[in-house]
Amino acid sequence: MGGQPLYLEPRLESRLRSLLHSTQLLHTLTDALGSPLNVVVPDQLADNIRQFRSVYGTRHLSGQIYFAHKANRSSALLRRLAATDAGVDVASLEELQHALGAGLTPDRITATGPKNPEFLWLAARTSVAVSLDTRGELEQLATLVRKHALPRSRVLLRLSGFEASGVRVLSRRSRFGTPVSELEPLLEAVERHADVVDLVGVAYHLDTTSLTEKATALEGCLRVLEECRSRGLRPRAVDIGGGFGVNYLAHGGQWDRYTTELTEAVLGTRPPLTYGGHGYGLRNEAGTLRGTLGLYPAHRPVAGARYLDELLAHPAASLGGRPLAALLLEHLYDLHTEPGRALLDQCGLTLTKVLEVRETEAGGPLLVRLAAKADDVALEEHGVFMDPVVVPRDPAGAGAGTRAGVGAGADAGTEPVAVHLFGSLCLESDLITRRTVFLPRRPEPGDLLAFANTAGYCMDFHATRAQHQPSARKVAAWQEGDTWRWCLDDQYWPTTPVGGAL
Amino acid sequence: MRYDSITEAIGNTPLVRIDPAVHGLRHIDLYAKLELLNPFGSVKDRAAWNMARPHLSGAAEEGGQVVELSSGNTAKALAVLAGMHGLTLKSVTNRMRIPEIKDLLLLLGAEIEELPGQSECLDPTATDDPLTLFHRTLSEPDSTYLHTDQYFNPRNTEAHFTGTGPEIVKDLDGRAPDWFIACVGTAGSSTGVARALREHDPAVRVAGLVAAKSDFIPGIRTIDEAHEVGLFDPATYDTIESVSADEAIEGMLTLNRRCGILAGPTGGAAYFGAVRQLRVADQELADEEPAERQSAVFIVCDRVESYLSYVRQRRPDLFGRPRRKNSPADLSDAEIRTAPAIGVADAQAWIATGEPLVVDLRSPYAYAALHIDGSVNIVDELFEELLHGGLPFSRNRPVLLACPVGEKSARYAALLTRMGHPDVRSLTGGVIAWRDAGAPLVRD
Ligand SMILES: Cc1ncc(COP(=O)(O)O)c(C=O)c1O
Repeated sequence: MGGQPLYLEPRLESRLRSLLHSTQLLHTLTDALGSPLNVVVPDQLADNIRQFRSVYGTRHLSGQIYFAHKANRSSALLRRLAATDAGVDVASLEELQHALGAGLTPDRITATGPKNPEFLWLAARTSVAVSLDTRGELEQLATLVRKHALPRSRVLLRLSGFEASGVRVLSRRSRFGTPVSELEPLLEAVERHADVVDLVGVAYHLDTTSLTEKATALEGCLRVLEECRSRGLRPRAVDIGGGFGVNYLAHGGQWDRYTTELTEAVLGTRPPLTYGGHGYGLRNEAGTLRGTLGLYPAHRPVAGARYLDELLAHPAASLGGRPLAALLLEHLYDLHTEPGRALLDQCGLTLTKVLEVRETEAGGPLLVRLAAKADDVALEEHGVFMDPVVVPRDPAGAGAGTRAGVGAGADAGTEPVAVHLFGSLCLESDLITRRTVFLPRRPEPGDLLAFANTAGYCMDFHATRAQHQPSARKVAAWQEGDTWRWCLDDQYWPTTPVGGAL
Repeated sequence: MRYDSITEAIGNTPLVRIDPAVHGLRHIDLYAKLELLNPFGSVKDRAAWNMARPHLSGAAEEGGQVVELSSGNTAKALAVLAGMHGLTLKSVTNRMRIPEIKDLLLLLGAEIEELPGQSECLDPTATDDPLTLFHRTLSEPDSTYLHTDQYFNPRNTEAHFTGTGPEIVKDLDGRAPDWFIACVGTAGSSTGVARALREHDPAVRVAGLVAAKSDFIPGIRTIDEAHEVGLFDPATYDTIESVSADEAIEGMLTLNRRCGILAGPTGGAAYFGAVRQLRVADQELADEEPAERQSAVFIVCDRVESYLSYVRQRRPDLFGRPRRKNSPADLSDAEIRTAPAIGVADAQAWIATGEPLVVDLRSPYAYAALHIDGSVNIVDELFEELLHGGLPFSRNRPVLLACPVGEKSARYAALLTRMGHPDVRSLTGGVIAWRDAGAPLVRD
């Protein structure tokens, strides 16, 4: 197999770990509902919200946590959310309808993203706050409100192109938000439409893992809010979007070792680690490594609520060096956040059935064909490297090997294997992942491979119905005492967990 | 020593023996090559000068700009050299994590462009990462950039092959050391010196040091990053070991405090890595009869002063100051809980009749934006400073303290009470409660 197996064990907190130990339930579910199957765990969402809340709490900040709906289509998750004090960030007409139908009242919804007239109308009609991307969108909204005699609309201005003082930060161009350099005409428009729009604050959403870029943007927002106040406007909120990240792996050491070996495989100093020598963005040019590794930093010690906390602790250089949290508080601003991925951390998994395990003549990695398409498990699409967990058909045969990567070791005869995971489309490109995956033992047809922690973007974000193959169905699961219960995703309501009795 | 130009002061740095009482090696003499004594402060002065020298006057005529991907020392040297020739430097980097160096570069007139962080939502098909775009602009036909290209330019290595290496041999009375230990950044210094030493004695053992993968040591690469360096050839090194940030700082402190060598973290990493490596060799020598004496050289790349915030972040214990009098940290929870306080409505009445001095403890920016009419602004940090010296206002003047939520003000109300002020109160719920109660806030 070429040296030690290179495991990338997923990080499993107690709920997902317990669910993965419920081998029989998982097989019952896939037998009944087919493979692939998505399972969401709504109660975890509430726990994650509490973690974000506690960051607000220790820093005395008020403001709303808006779950970014786009990260998962689940009704169960949204309805569970409705039973907390958090809100939702919707990016389409359908998401808005979904949110209203799940019981989220308009004061707990914010509309972001590109908007068509219907979306804008329903948002204004129901008094949902609207995050405006451009001046054009503001004009469009003002016209709608006047023409249809709608209530005065609460708006935020989504901004981009923040400049750090001293150094220029190069950035990928953002299609979203108005550049701060074009603030003047935007504010003039707000003033002109003061009878129909009420400016409640400013917003940004930066697609970056960098804390300093976000700190620069937040600092920029504080300056813009001051500019608004000096014009006599009364904004009171900053919405800093999402992008707080998830730590997918249990062990930093495995990640470090894996990426080093991947580098060496690209340089040809160790056997390949991918199907067809794919380099995930890296190439070998005369012995020197070129390109950039296009992978999600799967082991991230600072992610989610901790990331938010570090951002808030960041000193604002141009505002006297006080931490951003202190400045927000002292200026009496509310802080809004829109975590998507981070709120769905540990909230679900994707189950796939093993259809075939084939040996190659050359004695290379085994070919494992799964009853799923690559777009059903979009880890690869998002550059997330994480091993699936083998859930054996016959638990007695190999122990409930749910400790990812290492197996339970109950069965002494089992050996680690290297595999390539294929999907069920008749396309060469339908590889669940192009990397060689190491499993603690050889899977058998009928076993399940469970991809953990897929609820954020990796579950149904990319799913299609190509070749008339069904995309994954979805169930919600929760615990009553020691027992896991489940229902179809759209049957779940926050009343369900108490056995249907109100 | 009289020079016509500061560039003549580059090189010829001292080789200083480390006291055996410090490193504890019995059979190996350990020497530090003090590159920190170069005129712009680091080992990079040599490479920068050697790479830029042939092109500077030409670039000046064309009105071009020097560009480099550098996180610090090379940029620093290039900024000075460019300035001396009427040029400017643009440094493009994603690794400039040391605020002092960033500020120094700006002060020297450099332009800094930072690369953005990684995308949260990856687009696997994206081809135009900012670094690729940067290289594309450099290779445009009418480009007037002077790109020194330190990671690929053989003149970087050459500066050490012809300078640093031979100097070491000369100072060791014409002999190459048995060991040479250096950190790997651009690989220029380690490769150039190793080549020069091996010409004298092919048996020289060369150890390369890289940063541990999960750590950051300014100027040093991790093993993966080293593979991105054109000058890096693993065959140059007999061993490649990694050093953690903590170990680098430990080594740095030893050099700073016990050897009088004001090295930065990379010098510290080199010292730490050298001693770790040599301890094994020292033991083997001790087992020989009779014990042979060996020598070893490591490079001290630059100075400690630029890294204070880096060290403070990792070792706040090194900066502990003695406790001072009248500090809010001395208060007990009970004292804070029972601190005199007043609610918004009562405070409004008190302000109207009792004329307390209203002190707003928030930052000047927040205060300027909105505050209670008639209040004065003393930001909490400053207020704490003032109190170390005693009560800052008369006992006869009542005082109302306000902060965002009434937490900080409660501490200071307790402290002032303890210091003997008879009538100080904290605004319960702070300025936020004041606002929420609809009480007036002004900006004047
Ligand atoms: C406006 C907005 N808010 C929030 C998010 C969610 O970001 P994340 O899932 O990274 O937290 C996104 C994602 O694209 C977004 O565009």
